Amino acid sequence: MLIEMYGVTKIYPGGQVALKDINLKISKGEFVFIVGPSGAGKSTLIKLIFREEVPTRGQIFFAGKNISRLKRREVPYLRRRIGIVFQDFRLLPEKTVYENVAFAMEVVEASYKDIKRKVPQTLERVGLLHKANARPSELSGGEQQRVALARALVNNPDILVADEPTGNLDPDTSWDIMNYLDDINKRGTTIIVATHARELVDSMKKRVIQLEKGSLVRDEERGVYGK
Amino acid sequence: MKLRTIKYFFRESFTSLIRNRWMSLASIGAVASALIILGSFLLLSVNFDYILKDVESQVEITAYLEDSVDEADITKLNNGIAAIEGVKEIKFISKEEAIEEFKEQVGREILEGIENPLPNSFRIKVNDPHEVAAIAEKIQRFAGIDEVKYGKGIVEKLFNIIHWVRIIGMVIMAVFAAVSIFIISNTIRLTVFARRREINIMKYIGATDWFVRWPFLIEGMVLGLIGSSLAIGILAVAYNYLYIAVKINIPMIALLPIEQFYDYALGFLGIGMLIGAFGSSFSIKRFLNV
Ligand SMILES: Nc1ncnc2c1ncn2[C@@H]1O[C@H](COP(=O)(O)OP(=O)(O)OP(=O)(O)O)[C@@H](O)[C@H]1O
Ligand SMILES: [Mg+2]
Repeated sequence: MLIEMYGVTKIYPGGQVALKDINLKISKGEFVFIVGPSGAGKSTLIKLIFREEVPTRGQIFFAGKNISRLKRREVPYLRRRIGIVFQDFRLLPEKTVYENVAFAMEVVEASYKDIKRKVPQTLERVGLLHKANARPSELSGGEQQRVALARALVNNPDILVADEPTGNLDPDTSWDIMNYLDDINKRGTTIIVATHARELVDSMKKRVIQLEKGSLVRDEERGVYGK
Repeated sequence: MKLRTIKYFFRESFTSLIRNRWMSLASIGAVASALIILGSFLLLSVNFDYILKDVESQVEITAYLEDSVDEADITKLNNGIAAIEGVKEIKFISKEEAIEEFKEQVGREILEGIENPLPNSFRIKVNDPHEVAAIAEKIQRFAGIDEVKYGKGIVEKLFNIIHWVRIIGMVIMAVFAAVSIFIISNTIRLTVFARRREINIMKYIGATDWFVRWPFLIEGMVLGLIGSSLAIGILAVAYNYLYIAVKINIPMIALLPIEQFYDYALGFLGIGMLIGAFGSSFSIKRFLNV
């Protein structure tokens, strides 16, 4: 089991209840969509996984280790096992595509040799090797998100979490990104995607977890977006 | 820590120094000015010390003898005083020598035909100027000693002045060190602000807190180092001029030799670096939350 949540509740300072008593297990190799209306708690759930937020109550396990009360200095090592993708790409504008991806390896103190080997290989995987020397501003939205995907993947994470990765993209480009995610998943990386993209979820036939006002209301294998 | 990582830290800090070159220049200038003022006070107090040491070492005790004391007693007294702990040197000045000395100073003619009114005396030098008063008192107790003088008051006053110069110097140094820390911390804050995206991404990728901190620390230390080098250079040139000017115009004042100035330079670089490190860790703590 890669991720386990037991009775997880998140109440933000100020009293907003974002998640209520969530119980949930995600195995290695799964592809999971998290759906639900705005404010349902999708982003909060994802933030709990990579320890951006800590649960108010309940326990979260990552690969068997309880991360709900992780020490501050242990957090980076958890995050190295998780690739994170955001709606707004979060690329560094002054760095080239290559440098943006290499940056992720520099930060975890990879060797020069590994960086030179892994970066082109990962760019190839998202079909962007030919744009290695371009800057993010010279790329389309979809291409930028693929760079972000490469950056999230380059350190071989156990899991890739994406919060509305297609939120800023048109439908065709969204399809493209989802296909890459599917491909990445087929090669063994666990994937969790929070999304509003109804058609994509419906046609991909993956596990769907639905949240409503902080509660888990549906958890279906090969599910659809819902009503 | 890997060599590669160290290289990365330096590359990052220098990139950011150059990227924010105007801010960097401004803060180097500010740090240099602060350190120049700090350095001027340091030099002032060090020189004050140095000159006073010189004056202190010239403080001597004069012990006047009663007229009744004869040749043999003078020798006994001489040996007795010389044996006091802390006495460096004792010299007997006879009535005749004293009047000769006096005549030199005042002019011979005036004193022609007058009977010598001056007593025999000892001139005593001590090892530690702080002990002058205590030793003077011991000498006073010898039989045959009429009066002991040692520039009472002057010695105490001098020590008082040194004391205050040191305290004021220290306070001013602390103030300027704080100002420099503040300036550097502001510069680093700008850098941190300019790079908040990058820091944010680094943290999501799994960079440790220290990995995030180091480039900023280095940047601060480099700013402090460049600022203090500049200050040292300017101070060295200025001090050299001052030293020569004083030597030519006021030869009785002996300033600290220029060579000894360089002994302080190393400490200065250290102070600059520390100020930089302090300044940046301040910003990192407050604005980075790492
Ligand atoms: N940092 C925060 N401080 C206080 N309240 C927050 C914070 N982050 C989220 N919330 C609140 O928690 C609830 C859940 O927010 P969350 O961002 O998880 O929803 P979401 O499902 O991701 O919504 P969306 O689809 O709009 O992204 C919302 O009511 C939100 O206002
Ligand atoms: Mg959200």
